[in-house]
Amino acid sequence: MEEKLRYSGRFKQTLIYLGKLFRMFVFQNDWKVFPMAAVITEIVVFVISKNMFVNMEGTVKGAFALSCICIWNGMFNSIQVICRERAIIKREHRSGMHISSYVLAHMIYQAVLCLGQSAVMLLVMHYSKMKFPETGIVTGSTLTDLLLTFFFITYSADMLAMFVSSLVKNPTTAMTVVPFLLIFQLVFAGTFFSLKGVAKDASDFTLSKYGINAICSQSRYNDLPMTSVWKSLDKMGGIKLEDLSTQLADLNENETSPQNIANAQEMIQEFKNQTPYGNKFETVKDILEEMKKQGKKDAFEKYCGKQNIKQDYESTTENIAFCWGNLIFCALLFAGLSMISLNFIDKDKR
Amino acid sequence: MDLLETIFDTLVSFTNLGYIIGLWFFFKKCRVKCWYALIPGFRDFKLSIIANRENDGRRFLFFRLINTFLYTFRYFFDKDSSEYTTVILLVMITAVPYFIFSLRIYLGLCERFGKRKRWTVCWIFFEWYAALYWAFSKSIVYVADEEDDIEAVPVSGINTVGSGKELTINIKERTVKSLFSKRTLLKDIHLNIKPGHMVLLLGGSGAGKTTFLNAVTGYEMADAEIILGTDNVYKQYKTLKHNIGFVPQQDLMRGTDTVYRTLADAAALRLPTNIKGDERKQRINDVLDLFGLGMLKTSLVDKLSGGQRKRLSIAMEFISDPKLFILDEPDSGLDGVVARGLFEKLREIADQGKIVIVITHTPDRVRDLFDDVIVLAKDHDRSGRLTYFGPVEDSFEFFGKDSFEGMLLAINQKEEGGEGRADELLIKYNALVQTAAVGGEA
Repeated sequence: MEEKLRYSGRFKQTLIYLGKLFRMFVFQNDWKVFPMAAVITEIVVFVISKNMFVNMEGTVKGAFALSCICIWNGMFNSIQVICRERAIIKREHRSGMHISSYVLAHMIYQAVLCLGQSAVMLLVMHYSKMKFPETGIVTGSTLTDLLLTFFFITYSADMLAMFVSSLVKNPTTAMTVVPFLLIFQLVFAGTFFSLKGVAKDASDFTLSKYGINAICSQSRYNDLPMTSVWKSLDKMGGIKLEDLSTQLADLNENETSPQNIANAQEMIQEFKNQTPYGNKFETVKDILEEMKKQGKKDAFEKYCGKQNIKQDYESTTENIAFCWGNLIFCALLFAGLSMISLNFIDKDKR
Repeated sequence: MDLLETIFDTLVSFTNLGYIIGLWFFFKKCRVKCWYALIPGFRDFKLSIIANRENDGRRFLFFRLINTFLYTFRYFFDKDSSEYTTVILLVMITAVPYFIFSLRIYLGLCERFGKRKRWTVCWIFFEWYAALYWAFSKSIVYVADEEDDIEAVPVSGINTVGSGKELTINIKERTVKSLFSKRTLLKDIHLNIKPGHMVLLLGGSGAGKTTFLNAVTGYEMADAEIILGTDNVYKQYKTLKHNIGFVPQQDLMRGTDTVYRTLADAAALRLPTNIKGDERKQRINDVLDLFGLGMLKTSLVDKLSGGQRKRLSIAMEFISDPKLFILDEPDSGLDGVVARGLFEKLREIADQGKIVIVITHTPDRVRDLFDDVIVLAKDHDRSGRLTYFGPVEDSFEFFGKDSFEGMLLAINQKEEGGEGRADELLIKYNALVQTAAVGGEA
C-alpha cells in the first residue's frame, strides 16, 4: 500500500521560521536594536533620573517618557518585518507555508527582542543610579515588576506595528503610518493633556495609558510628595500679603469697591492673628521660610500629594495586573489580526 | 432674500436636470445603460469606465459615498458643538480626494474622445453643459463603435481527454468580478501536455500568460478542470501543490540567508516528512550540484550573481521533485550564454519525465530546446484565448512565420505595434481543432 505523504505541520514550520529569524538577527544586524535602546534610554534617563520615583511630577513625566521609549522600540522593531518581504511570503504561502506558523515565529522572535530591550533599559536606569522603590508590588522585586511592565508595553507596540506591517504593501507606506500611531499614543495617553468626552474614551484604546498607569502604580505615585505647589508659591514669594487683599476683593464680588477691599484686609488680618507668628509675615516668602525653618516643607509636600491621589495609579496588585492584562490582550489581538490580514496575501496584485 | 433663494434653487434644479438629460444621451451614445444617469455617484463611476479609468472611478465612488454619509451625519449634531465642526472638517477632507478622482475621470474622458484638457474645467464647473454638449455634439464620437460591430470569435468548447499520464487542461473561462462589472481573462483553453515535454508559453502583454499558469496550478481557480496524471488539481490542491513547482519572475528569497540554509528551509517546507534526515541532506546536495551551486553553499544569497540567484530560485522549487514545473521568465536579466545554460538545465529536467512550462520573452535563442508551444492572444473582447498549441515546427507553418517573434507580431494588436491578426488566427486554430476532433471520432 502506498505510504501517505505528510508535509511539515504548523509546529515544524514555526521552528523553521524561527531559525530563519535568528539567522537574520545575526546577518541582518537586528542586534542593533539593543545598543539603540540603551542610547535612547540613557538620553531620557539623563533628564528624568533626578525626580523619577522621588516626587509625583517627576514620576509621571518619567513614566510617560519611559512608556514612549518602549512604544518607540516596539514599533520600530517590527514596522517593516512583514511588508519588506511580502512577495516572499506570498511565494512561500503558495508552496505550503502556514500563515499562523509564520506569525507565531515572529511573535516568539519579537518577544525575545522586546525582552532584551526592556532588560537593557532597566540596566541603563540601574547604572544611572535612579532611586527605585524598595519593594515590588506584584513579584516583590521592583526590577522584575518594571522589567515585565516595560516588556508588555514594548511587545504590545511591537505587535501593533506588526499588524500595520501586515496590512500595508511596502515599507514606505509603513513608515508613513508610524508617526500617526505614535502621535495617537502620545496625545491620548491622558497624562499631559486633559481629555474629555470622546477623547477620554479614545485614551482607553492607547497602550501608553496602561503603560503609564502601570509604571506610576509601581512607583507608588500616590505615596509620593507633590512639589509643584511649593514651587509655585516660591515663585510668588515676593507678593506682599497686604496686596492679596485686592485680589481677594476681586474674587469676592468681582469688583474692587472700597468696601470689598476693606473686607479683604480684614480677612488677611484675621489670618495673621490666628496663625502663630502671623504678624511677622509680610510676604508669601516669609511663610515659606518659616515652614522650612521648622522642617515642615516635606510634610507640606506630602500633604499636597495626598490631595492629588489618582485612582488609576493605585499601587495594588489588581491595578497593575489590570494594566498588564490589557497590554497582553492588545498584543494577542494585534497578532491575531496580523494572521487574518496575511491570509489575504494571495489577493495581492501582481 | 426668499426670492433670491427660490431663484437659486430653481437654477440648481434645472442644471441637475440638464446634467441627467445630458448623461442619459451620452450613455446611450457610449452603449451604457441610460438609467445609470439617474443615480448620483454611480453615474460618475460609469463615466470612469467610458474614460478607461475604472480604478479612479472606484475610488471616486468610495469617497463620494463617505462624503455624502458624513454630510448627512452632520444633522445629528448641534451646529455649535465640537462634533459638528469635526464632521464638517471630515467632509472637507474627504472632498479633496473626491475632487481629485473626479478630475482624473474627466481627464480620462478628454483623452478617450481626443478632446482638449480644458474640457475638464467645464465638466467640473458646468457639468450640465458638458454633459449635454458631449451627448449631442457630432464632433464627439464613441471610438469603440466600429469594433463593437465585429462578431466575437465563437468558442470551440471541445474538451481534451488525457490518457492518465499527461497534464490535461480544460479551461472554460476565468473571470474577475469588480464593482458592477465582470471581465473574462481567459476563455476556451483546451490542451494536453505529455510528460517529458518542455513547452513554451507565448503571448503578448496582457494576453493572460500568468493568469493561465495560476489557473493551471490551482493557485487562482478558474471554471476549469485540470488533471495532472490521474489527479484533479483543483479537488486535491492541498496535496498536489507540492507536486507543482512554480518559479516566479523575481528572485524572491531572503538575501541574508546562506544558499544552503535557503535550500534546506525550502526542502523542509516542500518535501514530505516521511523523507529521513540523511536522504533529505542528500537531496539538497544533489540539487545544489545539479544547479552548479555546490561551491556556494555558505555564501549569502545577497552576494550571488543574477544567474546564480536565478538558479537558486529554480532549485528551491525543484527540491520537491515536482511532476509539473512552471517558470515565469526565468531568463529575465540574464545574458544570452547564461540564459542558454539555464534552459539546457530545464531541458535536462524535462528529459527526466517532467512537464516543464516556460514563459520567456526571448524564445528564439533556445527554440531547439522546446517540444511544444502554447500561444495565447487577446481576442476582440480582450479575453485570453488559445491561438495555437502544438509542436514547435508546426507552429511556424501555422503562423506563416519563421520565428517566435514573428508569431508574437502576428497576434499582437495594431495599437501595440502588431499585425492584429489574433481573431483571424483564432478562427483558423478552432477550425483545425474541430477537424482534428472529427478525424479522431471517425
